[in-house]
Amino acid sequence: MKWWKWTGIILAVVLVGGYGALSYMMGGPKDVYGFLRYALPQWRDGNLKVGDTAPNVKLLALDGQTTFHLSDRVGRRPLVLVFGSYT
Amino acid sequence: MGYLVTLYNDYKDRADFLTVYIREAHPLDEWQMKSNVDQGVCYAQPHSTEQRVAIANDFIQRFHFPVPFAVDDMHDIADHAYSAWPERIYIIDEQGKIAYRGGIGPFNYHPPEARAWLQKRFAGTTSTATNATAAGSGNSNATR
Repeated sequence: MKWWKWTGIILAVVLVGGYGALSYMMGGPKDVYGFLRYALPQWRDGNLKVGDTAPNVKLLALDGQTTFHLSDRVGRRPLVLVFGSYT
Repeated sequence: MGYLVTLYNDYKDRADFLTVYIREAHPLDEWQMKSNVDQGVCYAQPHSTEQRVAIANDFIQRFHFPVPFAVDDMHDIADHAYSAWPERIYIIDEQGKIAYRGGIGPFNYHPPEARAWLQKRFAGTTSTATNATAAGSGNSNATR
């Protein structure tokens, strides 16, 4: 066989093996795909630093109608701000 | 989540808390997790404000979640401004500056760090968490 065939075979083995190892670590092949497709692009560390002014974003109350600004909640006491979702 | 509720109960008389509900991390039309299926927590990624608010309300009702709550808008303004997805904690001081900036979840999400910050900030104050709880929630106005 030509060298490029061997290179191709080795590359394929590495890729398949790597994907297999990741699947094993993460629970299944679907999870590797989900991680690469959905988690990686959304994962950002951002540029905010301790000491920066907190971005004053507009938020929605639980009635789905009322809006308020984060600054409305800032100033009286320290504000613990927790971001998250259900799933 | 249970940790956050405890933290809230321990410090709600000295600090304000706000939970911001952002984009779903593992909706059924994206990267769904088996653990969520097992618990019957199956939602598609919301595509309207109404859907997003409805999921936030489901969450609060299911867990009787006591911490004040807000919802990020459909442009994910808060998520983007704070690089929050999938979960993250910040503490903002009285001057509006970021005093604590937690890491991104799940691997660098460590609520005990927020507790440590609060402990340090309120070290030496006479009102301990136990006293505050024992005194009842009558004078607590954390929820505004």
